[in-house]
Amino acid sequence: MANDKLQKKKLYALSSENRQFSFNLPLKHSIKIGKREYDVKLKADEKLGTYILWKNRKYPVEIVKSRQNKYEILFNDISYTFTVETPFSLQRMKVLTAGKGKATTEYVKAPMPGKIIDILVREGSTVQRGEAVVILEAMKMQNEILSPANGTIVKISARPGSNVMKDDLLVEIKP
Amino acid sequence: MDLSGKSYKAFVERQQALQKQYSPEQAHKQHVKGKLTAWERIDLLFDKNTFEEIDAFVTPAATPVEFGKIDRKYGDGVIVGHGKINGRLVFAYSQDFTIMGGSLGLVHSRKITKVQEMALKMGAPIIGMLDSGGARIQEGVASLSGYASIFHNIIQSSGIIPQISVIMGPCAGGAVYSPALTDFVFMVNHTSYMFVTGPNVVKEVLNEDVSSEGLGGAEVHARKSGVAQMIYDDEENTILALKKFLSYMPSNNVENPPTVNDDEAIPDFNEKLRDIVPDDPNKAYDVRDIINQVADRNSFFETAELFGASLVTGFARLKGRTIGIVANQPKVLAGVLDIDSSVKGARFIRFCDAFNIPILTFEDVPGFLPGVDQEHAGIIRHGAKLLFAYSEATVPKITIILRKAYGGAFIVMNSKFLGGDFNYAWPSAEIAVMGPDGAVAILYRKELAESKNPAELKKELVKKYRDKVANPFIADESGYIDEVIDPATTRQKVISALNALSNKWVKVPARKHGNMPL
Repeated sequence: MANDKLQKKKLYALSSENRQFSFNLPLKHSIKIGKREYDVKLKADEKLGTYILWKNRKYPVEIVKSRQNKYEILFNDISYTFTVETPFSLQRMKVLTAGKGKATTEYVKAPMPGKIIDILVREGSTVQRGEAVVILEAMKMQNEILSPANGTIVKISARPGSNVMKDDLLVEIKP
Repeated sequence: MDLSGKSYKAFVERQQALQKQYSPEQAHKQHVKGKLTAWERIDLLFDKNTFEEIDAFVTPAATPVEFGKIDRKYGDGVIVGHGKINGRLVFAYSQDFTIMGGSLGLVHSRKITKVQEMALKMGAPIIGMLDSGGARIQEGVASLSGYASIFHNIIQSSGIIPQISVIMGPCAGGAVYSPALTDFVFMVNHTSYMFVTGPNVVKEVLNEDVSSEGLGGAEVHARKSGVAQMIYDDEENTILALKKFLSYMPSNNVENPPTVNDDEAIPDFNEKLRDIVPDDPNKAYDVRDIINQVADRNSFFETAELFGASLVTGFARLKGRTIGIVANQPKVLAGVLDIDSSVKGARFIRFCDAFNIPILTFEDVPGFLPGVDQEHAGIIRHGAKLLFAYSEATVPKITIILRKAYGGAFIVMNSKFLGGDFNYAWPSAEIAVMGPDGAVAILYRKELAESKNPAELKKELVKKYRDKVANPFIADESGYIDEVIDPATTRQKVISALNALSNKWVKVPARKHGNMPL
């Protein structure tokens, strides 16, 4: 009982900033800028590793991390994270996010007792998911406490040099 | 073929009725919820045209007392059968939520136990894709016994064939114990949930307001409870990841895991490994960077990455052969062993041991997590699980000490006299009963108290301790580890150790079973 609906004709790349790019299948090595299409080539050599050849110039590219359909790549020394979506999964995402209300405030808490060494953000500054916000020294190690979401810092409860207990509030982030 | 003959008429009609049952309207019901149908899941999972369905035409059992409606559709709400995944035989059952909410009645459960028994007999993995409202109330005790026989089969097959559950919808009440008993649980974000008692009962009994997702969603089980090991954002990616995951598994406990070709992108002599561990022992790093530079390129598949994250576990390949990796993660909680990470590690090691997968351990551990919280929650007995699992495992066991190896945690993390086959240390290793600060404070308490300049004296003693005591050379010179190695040679050393261990055989004393501190 093969299902033709699952045969893919298109794939999408969804960046962490919610920008969407579509690609027709089978993949062609070309990119569209405005209305013009350019040929690009994906190549590899000993010196640069994998690189993209465009207009006779080489741009190194590296897959830093991949987990199923999530990728982090390094291109021209800038890191990009994105997911690869099929038409069905993209539609599913829209259906599921439509039913949900606004995301609530995220509370960053101390994962273990320790001492605050440094606070890397200020109230009002924006953070990305996975960015370090606080350095907590515990077990004689400096632990980076990471932001669980993209958002803005609304309140900082921790002070550098102070001791905190497990589950003490450190930072509040509004998405 | 001409099927117009009289005897074929009933056959064809039946076939058509079955086709009609899986209509576009039925599919739409699932699609609007962001879910796929039971058949679409099967199609995604198995190689094209390899799935053979069993018992497609069975109908629900008759009930002794009529209470509630029973939908007499073909299949009784579950599709079972076998097929090929990446060319290897796998059995599966996939519950169909569109037929009586995928509820489990007698016939439904008999279909599942039938494939379970076949999978065990054939020595092939079994996958359960669960999307069910739970026990079928109309069938009463027959349905409950159905669950019991499914559980019993899972336990009988445990450690003989890999058993994997994929939660793709609700899984509530007693039904949760079927995935809980299997080796690995996959869940789909936002559309699957598991709990023993649902939000309504929680509200009634405890007056706590909680949503299904907040109570037992994928995120909760992957991060907090540790029930689910792998979660993905949609069903398609969950199934694709599962297929990749299966490529690491042997089909049963007497086979070896399949091998693949190594693209040799990671060199055996890898200088990148020299720069990953920071010189400052208080600085963290990501141990996965080391794993990725030792294992074959892109071969590391992490399991339970959100739960007990101070210990990294997962499968990888070395020269195309599957290995299990257990590694302390200095980036999370300094890499301590706490209750969650100990239990996670113990279960992973026991899976590897059951299925002939060698274990490679990367060690950088400051110790067990201190504190009232952990002690009262039983870190002693939970930590003992990890110790038990390591020592009991008879597969090849290799340890690389990267940096800290202190106290009890050093013993637990597959130390030589616990049964580790090869223990190597990098020159950056610190092997001692405790860290420099603690040791100095205890051994020189009096001197420090009497000193005019205690800070200066402490600094001096810490330096002396680090140079003279907490290094890998004492252990090396007295045979407590096998060799201090250049980090760049790690991959080469592990490969040659695994070759040496390929015929490892351990005589296990006859007994019913050990008594693990559960």
